[in-house]
Amino acid sequence: MKLTWFLEHPALRRAVMLSFILAFGAFLILPLVTLLLWAFADRWFFPNLVPQVWGFRWWGWILENTDITKAARWSFLIAPTVTLLSAVICLPAAYAFARFEFPFKRFLYVALLASNAFPKLGLYIAIAALFFQFRLIGTFWGVVLVQLINTLVTMTWIPAAGFSSVPRELEEAARDLGASPLRVFFTVTLPIAMPGVIVAMILVFLGSLDEAQATLLIGAPNIITMPVQMYTLVGNYPEPVGAIFSILLTVPSLILLVLARKFLVSGYLAAGFK
Amino acid sequence: MSQTASSSPSPAARKLGRLVHSWREPVLGLLLVLPPIIVLILLVLYPALEALRFSLGFVPADNPAYASGLDLVNSNSGSLEVFKKLFASSFFSSNLALTLRVSFVSVLLLVLVSYPLALFARFGRGKLAGVARVLYLLPMFVPVVIATYALITFFGDNGWLEAILGTVGIPYHSVIRQEAGIVLGHVWVGVPFAVLMLSSGLDGISNESLEAARDQGANAWVVFWRILLPLNVVPLLIVMTFSFIGVFGSYTVPYMLGPSAPQMLGVSMALNFGAFRQPQQAVAMAVVSFVFCAFAGALYVWSTTRGRKS
Repeated sequence: MKLTWFLEHPALRRAVMLSFILAFGAFLILPLVTLLLWAFADRWFFPNLVPQVWGFRWWGWILENTDITKAARWSFLIAPTVTLLSAVICLPAAYAFARFEFPFKRFLYVALLASNAFPKLGLYIAIAALFFQFRLIGTFWGVVLVQLINTLVTMTWIPAAGFSSVPRELEEAARDLGASPLRVFFTVTLPIAMPGVIVAMILVFLGSLDEAQATLLIGAPNIITMPVQMYTLVGNYPEPVGAIFSILLTVPSLILLVLARKFLVSGYLAAGFK
Repeated sequence: MSQTASSSPSPAARKLGRLVHSWREPVLGLLLVLPPIIVLILLVLYPALEALRFSLGFVPADNPAYASGLDLVNSNSGSLEVFKKLFASSFFSSNLALTLRVSFVSVLLLVLVSYPLALFARFGRGKLAGVARVLYLLPMFVPVVIATYALITFFGDNGWLEAILGTVGIPYHSVIRQEAGIVLGHVWVGVPFAVLMLSSGLDGISNESLEAARDQGANAWVVFWRILLPLNVVPLLIVMTFSFIGVFGSYTVPYMLGPSAPQMLGVSMALNFGAFRQPQQAVAMAVVSFVFCAFAGALYVWSTTRGRKS
């Protein structure tokens, strides 16, 4: 039996669903298309539907602008640092949550959620005040630390779901054949749990590239990443500049999306919350 | 991992080994989970507590960011003076009202858009369902700042939408720099999380239970209300809680898409902390938003623990 029977009449159902998806698709995609058009517009006056003059005039300007290349450098220094640091801190915990029994396990697991349960800007302000005290404002490590907060749940819960999906029998079989615990971990457990770890790392990396609020508050004026740069670009430069910059900023995400598509649809994203 | 290193294939010996080393597992487990918990305590709980103390009038002399603020309320025994002033200010109450309104409307719209998508992603067949499954993930890969900028160029004054509607003579009034603009932005940004959560919950509902209801003659509406919704209530609550907290504490979306007055609390907090040099007011607003979001969080914790018991 088919399961697409939510509305009783197939034709009607299809029409309703089609128009819903079309409307939703337009809502999601058309703003991005507008940006794309702006990125290749040398001149575009309202109410023309497409630019009057197409061109690449602003691309050269952007790629030569030192502020922007500096921002790109900071972004691509900070994102991998945050991802690696978060992995070092959280992955052993994820394994412990999945495999060990210890006191307060359930409580500690849920407690991590506190990092997501505070309204973000309020928390960032409280942290900014603390970082003033420790002279971390405007420093690389200040930004890395503040971004670390948002990674705790992702980097613990999703890999934990991955680790607990590894059948214990498999590990025990490997032990029976004489493999050491470490060897079992690296040759049996980790490879099977890898999709969860990869999804978590991708999400953390993207989250760091995307982060603007905390980075602005903690990093300014020395550490300006690409999204923070975007705040100033939007108000002070013509549309094509913001549009081109947007494309440059979205490219890494899209590359990761394509690379990780297989893992992303496999349900790991929501795994931790169950 | 708590077994002896010797390879002992018999289950009895293995069990003995586990017993002997039973203390190792709890200690090792606690040690391994310690690092993220320490980060949580140092970077979330401690600053939040300091903020709370500061808002109650305990001004830490060794913290220049707090101690150098203007209009400080100083108290050795704690006072609610800052909050009294805050709630007496008409700016704050209209900001708070706006924040609550935007949060509720955004969450409502988000659920209304995401639920059909999640149902379609879970139960739909064919090309269209495949398209939908990729489509809803898209905003996850667009940085929020970029998303808001894209929305401005499309929905804003003299934007593409106005140009398109103009060709067929439909008048359009821009939603950008309005309350509606903030809601629009949050729905755009929030869809992937909401749909992922909801459809992962729907994955757990077996086709058999739906078919059984179907055989009993239940129509789609009944199936939705009696089976899908009750069985999927925890993911729904998660979506509502976390979207609410996310919208409530947001900065980028209201900063880019919202009106300059009244403002969402996040924008107002940042201004008070930075430009206005009134950290105590900013921190008090943060405390107020912690309290509101604590209610939302409590709802989530209550619902998940209840689900676990039954």
